[in-house]
Amino acid sequence: MTALLEVGGLSRNFGGLAAVSDVSFTVPESEILGLIGPNGAGKTTVVNLISGVIRPSAGRIVFAGRDVTSAAPHRLAAMGLVRTFQSTTVFPARTVRENALRGAYLHSWPGFGQALLGTAAAARKRSSAAREVEMLLEEMGLQPVANHVAGGLPYGFQKMLGIVIALAARPRLVMLDEPVAGLSLEEADQIRNVITRMRDRGVSVIVIDHNMRFISGLCDRLVVLHHGRELAQGSPQKVLSMPDVIAAYLGKRNAAPLHP
Amino acid sequence: MDAAQPFAAARGVVLPRNWATAAGITAALALAVGWPLLIGNPFFITLGTTIALELIGATSLHLLLRMGHISLAHAAFMGIGGYTAVLLRMRMDVPFPFDLIAGALAPALLALVIGPVILRLSGKYFALVTFMSGEIVRLSLTQWSSLTGGANGIFGVPPLVPGLTSGLQFYYLAVLISAVCIALVARLLTGEIGRVMASIRESERLAACSGIPVVRVKVTVFAIASAMVGMQGVLHAHHLHYIDPSAFTSVQSLNFLVMNIIGGADHLIGAVAGAVFLVILPELLRDYQGLQQILFGIILVIVMAGLPGGLVQLIGLGWRAALDLRRRFAA
Repeated sequence: MTALLEVGGLSRNFGGLAAVSDVSFTVPESEILGLIGPNGAGKTTVVNLISGVIRPSAGRIVFAGRDVTSAAPHRLAAMGLVRTFQSTTVFPARTVRENALRGAYLHSWPGFGQALLGTAAAARKRSSAAREVEMLLEEMGLQPVANHVAGGLPYGFQKMLGIVIALAARPRLVMLDEPVAGLSLEEADQIRNVITRMRDRGVSVIVIDHNMRFISGLCDRLVVLHHGRELAQGSPQKVLSMPDVIAAYLGKRNAAPLHP
Repeated sequence: MDAAQPFAAARGVVLPRNWATAAGITAALALAVGWPLLIGNPFFITLGTTIALELIGATSLHLLLRMGHISLAHAAFMGIGGYTAVLLRMRMDVPFPFDLIAGALAPALLALVIGPVILRLSGKYFALVTFMSGEIVRLSLTQWSSLTGGANGIFGVPPLVPGLTSGLQFYYLAVLISAVCIALVARLLTGEIGRVMASIRESERLAACSGIPVVRVKVTVFAIASAMVGMQGVLHAHHLHYIDPSAFTSVQSLNFLVMNIIGGADHLIGAVAGAVFLVILPELLRDYQGLQQILFGIILVIVMAGLPGGLVQLIGLGWRAALDLRRRFAA
């Protein structure tokens, strides 16, 4: 297995505060990596750095063999690296189908001139992207609500739609920022199934979450962050029984194993 | 309904899918062409020309609004276009249509240069920076007297097309260019480009993470809008045979904005309706000397309060009333 994503010595300071310092890890192809840690550990900052939303103060990010440190989000998306956001994951005023079509931009955009002239090539691209989006909606169980306005749907549907938007770009690596926060157990299970199915198809996934049960049952490997630093790395069983990790989550006195 | 494909072949006949829109466009074009035949009065031809010209500015600003940017420099770009064409023609004898093309290219070029910087700003910051850019342009036009004639402007601008001297001929030229511009705006707002612009307005972050090169799209559209309003500047100068900085101040930029808001800034029809309304309204108030400005303001406030969605709301209300009537007749 070759590493799809390599992160080395990643650091980011906000003023005097080191939000992330010297974080290194790799993600091979077809792996689910969990990024965990207490509130304020720097998980979202790491995802923001990798996805190009903010620039690192130091460190290197290599994706698919190319140095992409400080690359713009749209360039990364074109290379196959996409993400979801904790909030505002969808276009709330638009239908589910329109949301998914927007996610498929990279495969439906015929170029400015072609789009302006409305050429046959542009029409072909649009209809093939539309077909692909229908299949994706069907697979993710969103077909019944395809014509509904996204903002009016229950929270769980919106979270799922956020993932659909990301998948419509045909990514090689997806970063999901708290995909099950605020969801019911059944909804979380659905999301879990979607993530494992993505992995089985060769897509790598980085998941941020607080829910230990969800994370440990899902991920192949975990990276634990604490105060912006990397605390531990390894299989869920190994990492979640480390005294340092337990102490970081629960404080020193409650040193019982985290893994159920 | 697929907005990108307004026409579909049905049983061998090409029928507009959205017949109401098609009927509206046909009626508007027929009115524009027949207007001078209905009313031969030169005053009404001048009024029609003014409407055709203001439509270019209002609809090209509409493009920027639909990307979420409120520009207060739109009239400045109009001025740059106008002065470029006039100076090229009068000082260097550049013939038509090259002066018109240069008048469109000059503001577009400026947009390409400053766009990548200022289009990263959002909301009020963009509005402020464009306001100041507009002031810089106005001051330059006023102060650089050796080139621009200063506040006095430049008199004796020759006809745009040699030999095309009558107001009626100029009216049809303005209508033609205006219609082409509005059609281009409509084309940009539908299909894939419209989808990309809407994505950017609704969530720039999500758009960028879906692979949309946000800044590049914005700069491209900004340049196109600037080229259009630059042409309005050229036509404006040739229409009045005169050009001076007072027509290109932030007041005119605000006019373009008010046209969009009064008409309904979420629809291209709104920009069109607002431009027509705002040109005609002061003429209707001609008889109330002294009260003209006050009545103008009061009417604007009433329209804004009564129709927060703009004049296009009337279309919706009218449609509903028509359906009610039909139901009553059927019963």
